Amino acid sequence: MTQHDISRSDAPEKRVLNIGFMALTDAASIIVAATQGFAEKHGLTLNLQRQASWATLRDKLLSGELDAAHSLYGLIYGVQLGLGGAAATDMAVLMGLNQNGQSINLSPDLQHAGVSSGEALHARAHQSGARLTFAQTFPTGTHAMWLYYWLASQGIHPLEDVDSVVVPPPQMLAHLKARRIDGFCVGEPWSAQAVDEQLGCTLATSQSIWPDHPEKVLGCTRAFVQQHPNSARALIKAVLEASRFIDESEDNKCSTAQLISACDYVDAPLSAIQPRFLGRYQDGLGHAWLDAHPLRFHAKGVVNMPYLSDGIWFMTQFRRWGLLRDDPDYLTIAQQVQQLELYRQAAEALDIEVPAAMRSSLLLDGKTWDGSNPAAYARSFDLHALADAPASARLESR
Amino acid sequence: MLRILLINDTPKKVGRLKSALIEAGFEVIDESGLTIDLPERVEAVRPDVVLIDTESPSRDVMEQVVLVSRDQPRPIVMFTDEHDPGVMRQAIQSGVSAYIVEGIHAERLQPILDVAMARFESDQALRAQLQARDAQLAERKRVELAKGLLMKMKNCNEEEAYTLMRRQAMSRQQKLAQVAEQIIAMHDMLGG
Repeated sequence: MTQHDISRSDAPEKRVLNIGFMALTDAASIIVAATQGFAEKHGLTLNLQRQASWATLRDKLLSGELDAAHSLYGLIYGVQLGLGGAAATDMAVLMGLNQNGQSINLSPDLQHAGVSSGEALHARAHQSGARLTFAQTFPTGTHAMWLYYWLASQGIHPLEDVDSVVVPPPQMLAHLKARRIDGFCVGEPWSAQAVDEQLGCTLATSQSIWPDHPEKVLGCTRAFVQQHPNSARALIKAVLEASRFIDESEDNKCSTAQLISACDYVDAPLSAIQPRFLGRYQDGLGHAWLDAHPLRFHAKGVVNMPYLSDGIWFMTQFRRWGLLRDDPDYLTIAQQVQQLELYRQAAEALDIEVPAAMRSSLLLDGKTWDGSNPAAYARSFDLHALADAPASARLESR
Repeated sequence: MLRILLINDTPKKVGRLKSALIEAGFEVIDESGLTIDLPERVEAVRPDVVLIDTESPSRDVMEQVVLVSRDQPRPIVMFTDEHDPGVMRQAIQSGVSAYIVEGIHAERLQPILDVAMARFESDQALRAQLQARDAQLAERKRVELAKGLLMKMKNCNEEEAYTLMRRQAMSRQQKLAQVAEQIIAMHDMLGG
């Protein structure tokens, strides 16, 4: 077979792809891939389509109006497992888009009442009186999982000790101002903007919960991958190269922050995007630091690998918090969703190292997650909402 | 008679839709409060159908309503017509999302959807603008040309030329192809 034939057999089946994203800082690699010539190099044109909600982004993925999208890890697994509005559908994670960079903030009222630590919040949450209300962005999303995990690590049951509500990210600040929420977990630039506007403080970063945690992924339906494997591979390559470019230098990161602040993309002031994009944090309590685990897009491919253990973790948390009533077949589902082979082909073509499919992490509550024994891990937490019917009842109902 | 909760929190005007639904014999409650109150409103109003602009950020709040209601006697589910998947696609494209109390037949919902799809102000024109044409081949050639010119002008290698062009494009919130055109135009003007 000649060189020409090989390249032809690799040609994208579909050359113009509709790519959904939400107006968040961590959509950067997709925006750069689409606008800075990375997609064209791999024979693709990417039509970026900003979405107003994760639910609509999901519905458009399922209806085919979008081919792939910047997605919450938990959204892809939620659809796979049939949790939420859409019918269970086979989904695919093509690659990780970023790690780190989300935050848990408290309201000005709590801050002024001296609640500026986990212990103080624990005491406040267990006082009699008005229950605290915490907002996240999507029921099965990453922000819900970080919020629940962090609250539980402080001894606060996220579903019993406080109220948990969904508020769309662009409305977080309005809800804070209206004193309707006491805290939230959200992606940037919304947390930084709240601190900038002196609307409370950042009490915890998501990377303080799990250093280098998975966050957004490039998601699509399994049907899209099956029908367009070459387009999917080319898309991974384009976004991998864009990710590598962003992480390559501080100059590239600054230009990226400038690009994505435009009204067509994140549509937020550069001052709310750039500092935390570069790892420079202020918490609104007088602390400023250069974060050891800032938002990152590539890190020689460590960020982009669709680890099986990352996908399984979200299922264990769905189980822990009662979204799943039974243990799913964790490993098999992750092996079907995470597109390891396609990712490997794309990464190897770009000389990007492909790490092992499981990784080991130490989370802030002292627990290690390495992908093994997911059913036992899901049951290993003191605070949970495991809602199993007793074994006897289950037998009777058969 | 079916009771409809019409969520009104985007710039689209729902006035005409509301009156059209009332004329068609439905009971319509129109809700335009804070997003955070939506679950309580659904609980209080107990609608059979919830209609919401597909472009409303509050759709994610409806996701919570769906999940929380799944153990209740009248669970609320997103409307999808199992017999005709095209209906969902059509509804999304015309900008309306519907949630129903489980058990309501698709035939009973169809007249509501028909009115909603016809009356929700269409933003098709805007959508058409967002559809970039498939210009990647032509653009790629222009980018290559500009890169070559820049390599000569700056006496740099290919990768450095790309990085310079990309930083310039990104700092100005432009596409790489736009900066390529500027380089080519400048080069022509300077008589390179």
